[in-house]
Amino acid sequence: MSLLHAEYLKVTRRKLYPGMLLILAILVGVVAFFLMVFGRIAPEVAEGVPVLTKPLAYLVGAQQVASQTWFPLVLAVVVLGGEMGTTVWATSLTRESRRLRQILARLVVFSVASWLAFLVGTAIWSGLAAVAAQGSGSPTAAEWVGVAWRMGLIALAWTSLGLGAISMLRSLGPAIGAALAFSFGESILALWGPYENASLSAATTGLFGTAMDGFIGAFLPGTDLGVAQAIGIILGWTLFGLLLTWWGVQRRDA
Amino acid sequence: MSQAAIRVEGLVKSYGRIEALRGLDFEVPAGQVTGFLGPNGAGKTTTFRALLGLTRPNGGDVEVLGHRVPDQLPELIKSVGAIVEEPGLIKSLSGRANLEVAADTLGFGHDRIDELLEFVGLVADSRRAVGGYSKGMRQRLALAAALLGDPRLLILDEPLDGLDPAGQHAFRSRLRDLALEGRTVVVSSHDLSDVEQLADYVVVIDQGRLVAQGPLEQLLGGRATTVVADDLEQAMEVLGAAGFDATREGAALLVDSSDGSGIVRALAAAGIFPGEVRPERSSLETVFLGITGRS
Repeated sequence: MSLLHAEYLKVTRRKLYPGMLLILAILVGVVAFFLMVFGRIAPEVAEGVPVLTKPLAYLVGAQQVASQTWFPLVLAVVVLGGEMGTTVWATSLTRESRRLRQILARLVVFSVASWLAFLVGTAIWSGLAAVAAQGSGSPTAAEWVGVAWRMGLIALAWTSLGLGAISMLRSLGPAIGAALAFSFGESILALWGPYENASLSAATTGLFGTAMDGFIGAFLPGTDLGVAQAIGIILGWTLFGLLLTWWGVQRRDA
Repeated sequence: MSQAAIRVEGLVKSYGRIEALRGLDFEVPAGQVTGFLGPNGAGKTTTFRALLGLTRPNGGDVEVLGHRVPDQLPELIKSVGAIVEEPGLIKSLSGRANLEVAADTLGFGHDRIDELLEFVGLVADSRRAVGGYSKGMRQRLALAAALLGDPRLLILDEPLDGLDPAGQHAFRSRLRDLALEGRTVVVSSHDLSDVEQLADYVVVIDQGRLVAQGPLEQLLGGRATTVVADDLEQAMEVLGAAGFDATREGAALLVDSSDGSGIVRALAAAGIFPGEVRPERSSLETVFLGITGRS
């Protein structure tokens, strides 16, 4: 527990986390405005822009928030990257018996922090939807629980990849660039049929697939993936990120 | 030399085409403060990183506290405290909380935190955020973090760099105290006066190679003694008869020996009581510039 507590302090006592939360909130607010309000207040300008209505607006919003995969990526890269040149990190990783614990503690804490950020983003979106979206109804409690665990899985996988990126590259700028390039490139590659079945982006969509039926989901890869298959793909990428992290730590001799 | 805490032989490390260490050999005696000297770019930090297993050398052997590095690091590392590069303090946390985080991360208990805060003189400021600390206070906190595991060996990379004179004095005092407790302290610096005031033993490297090592006193020379007496001619005659090689230097004699008591005994036996007997020392700066060829 003490190692988890130390990581918790490192994340929460820095300005980085609230700053990233603010950016996430602004992004969510802007997207929510365009998808729920803009088409109604300026229909002639917003021709072709769909207008979300309740109750779909809530679940699509949750998926929009969960697609902000930059959050776990950047959080993992920056917090761990900030430690990498320091004595405590260096000497703690030298102690091989604790190396796995060190990595797992960071994976858990950064994933939970990203998951909470996703929940905050979803709450903001849902608040806007409740006020601004047309229609009526809202998801059931079971649907909200489903949203929550799906977001947790997504946060876990992308955090793991962020840890892998910084462990391999050991430099903040290149690691952030590589992680974001991967995030973008992988989502493009997911459009290629054979890769779709292994794509993290497709699996992310697949987890929320039913919410997207009849909407922009038709254009996204992964809507046909079953939930079990999507979970398998996401856990596979999580393992891949952990292996990258382990390998990066092992070869940290610059 | 007493038992070596660190023994390095033929250490080689290259970064691409740049050879940071080119067959470095040195030893550090146990239970003393050793100054690890060299100009910027000499390879001091790379050497320290190799000692801690943070960089893998291309060649050579490293033995720390009797353990081979990196093969036996897991058994060794708990006995070593270090400040290399940034200590990694979290500015928004208090000094005490920083030590708690470091202890948790490193797998040590919190039981020594109070004692260490007292040792580094930060008890009164331990609840303040580290962002408000002076550089000297941060360095002392980093020293406390390095001591969390009660290490036998401390490796400190430029710990006095950027500290004001009072901060340097306080830090040096703490390091001397640690050596008196029997710990081995290795301090790198490019500031020669730091080392001259602190170290018992000195290792000098340049361009990745050893250029000198030995006890500080030995390195500073101490082979000559200045003698002031009323009758310099008679004193010179007496010292010559006693086997000392003395030459006239203005109003004094320069005797080519560090045996001050022997000189006094010889003069006193002849009824000459010198007004002053003073060992002649080179400054570390003079020695350093001489042996690195930069004079």
